[in-house]
Amino acid sequence: MTPPTALAPEAATKPLIPPSTHRYADVIHRLEAGGSMLPDTPENLKQIIGIYKAYAVPMDFYWRDLLYIAEQVFLNPIPAFKYFISQEYLDRPCSYAGDQSKLRIWRGGEKAHPELLEFMARGETIRMPKLLHHLWHDRVNMEFAEACMQAMLWHQGMGGRFNDYLETDAYRANADRAIKAYFKRNPLMLGLYKLFPEMFLEKVKQLSYTANLGLFWEVMAPVFFEMSDIYDEGGFKGVPDAMDFLVNGIFAVAGRPIYHHVFIDGECFEIIPKSEGFTWLYEAALPYVEAVFYRTAPFRGTKSYNAQAGQVPDNQADFHYGILYADVFPVGSAGIPPTLLMQDMLHFLPPYLQDTYKQHKRGEDDQLIQLGITFQRSMYNVTSAVIQALRCALLYPLDDPNPEHLMANRRFFEAQMDRFLRPEARLPQIQTQDYR
Amino acid sequence: MATILETAAGAGCFNTLLAAVDAAGLREALESPGPFTVFAPVDDAFSALPPGTVQTLVDNPPQLARILKYHVLAGAHNQAALVAKEQWDSLEGAPIPIRSVDPFEVKNATVVTADIACDNGVVHVINRVILPG
Repeated sequence: MTPPTALAPEAATKPLIPPSTHRYADVIHRLEAGGSMLPDTPENLKQIIGIYKAYAVPMDFYWRDLLYIAEQVFLNPIPAFKYFISQEYLDRPCSYAGDQSKLRIWRGGEKAHPELLEFMARGETIRMPKLLHHLWHDRVNMEFAEACMQAMLWHQGMGGRFNDYLETDAYRANADRAIKAYFKRNPLMLGLYKLFPEMFLEKVKQLSYTANLGLFWEVMAPVFFEMSDIYDEGGFKGVPDAMDFLVNGIFAVAGRPIYHHVFIDGECFEIIPKSEGFTWLYEAALPYVEAVFYRTAPFRGTKSYNAQAGQVPDNQADFHYGILYADVFPVGSAGIPPTLLMQDMLHFLPPYLQDTYKQHKRGEDDQLIQLGITFQRSMYNVTSAVIQALRCALLYPLDDPNPEHLMANRRFFEAQMDRFLRPEARLPQIQTQDYR
Repeated sequence: MATILETAAGAGCFNTLLAAVDAAGLREALESPGPFTVFAPVDDAFSALPPGTVQTLVDNPPQLARILKYHVLAGAHNQAALVAKEQWDSLEGAPIPIRSVDPFEVKNATVVTADIACDNGVVHVINRVILPG
């Protein structure tokens, strides 16, 4: 495997540090050479870009509806129509796409993507009223987005200061103002609030995480669309190019504010004001990766877990039910959150990915499983981008001439790989192409 | 002697930092008697960040202020005092580790010029923008 590339000028062939002896030394050496955990093959590049495109379209719905729920639906006691996003939020200009964007580094329009609008109108069936599409479950599976939000809410403190702020007096006061304003014409709910204030506050916290995830994905959707466009134009030479694009994207929007505003009768209530200084990187992206890629929670389904038999860890930090550990077949046959995403992505697969799936395994019959494993590969690449971005932000360049700095990078990469030593991790499987 | 910001302006290699201080609304605070210890990244440190990084921060003053405050300590501390402790609490709240004494390294940045004394504190010039975490 590739040795570390950081070389002394006077000894251009001799590595400055010895090879790693970690079980995943090959992967570590690849990371040290500026690569991804996912091997650099044309097939991997095609798969991950294709699935980013298929992910970006429903994600364009997820982020808009998450913000609609957090900002407009808010504490509606019977939120039966929370997935019936308003036209205002479908047209809401994306902060990072469209000519109005302050940071115009990704192309793409400001409003909801045309493929999304087409799917919303027709679904898998025919054009019919929104309510019928909803009841027939022929729609975007917002339940997946809410499951991700709930994973963040449940795991809570995973870096950043977002969760700490939810415990402050300032947050309680802001939430209190919004709750009283929202229910000002509803004495029954105001009475319940007086009796059970913590219950209402907990609900507002959940809505704050809903806003958090919406603002996080508002960035990722245009990034994934842009990656698909670049690939279609022949722009990426390999997997590391795709990873580097993500690393640059992470830095570009790292300082994007994370906040929670609520609009009640046209008035804006700042439950988490932008002035708190919360950022996309620290308060959204890193907690999201930790909660959703690594941890989540054991799903009910065809695969069950016995907590008494120690099959569920005592410590939340040891949870390993995210996509990086998922056995996609049983997970993907249980009607549980990842399946909902797979079904959403199935509607927007680019033709070249559909052709690939037809040529392998059971062809169209197990496309959901095949695309689930493609998604797993693609998320190992996103996680690689996060690892490289953290290395870049907190440690040293890969071509640093100081061996001590290279060893610090090595320790960091090895610590990251330690998380994949448990048998459920799919890192070994994604090293080969026959895992489908 | 000059203040921290006057010293930085006179050096000519902190244009991005000074613009960021203004954008974040921190000029008044850094002109106050303090004293402060400032780890001041040179212009090249900012331009080494990927495209858009600085612009997004400049567009969002509270977020920019948070990153800048990570470069500031309360009190005037010279190199000899700084290396006596493993880490220092920044004004942002997150700790800044002192990773090496010789060469003098603060987090993942190297101090290229230490101990520039000012009216209201001390400046240490660093070659990289440091980030919490």
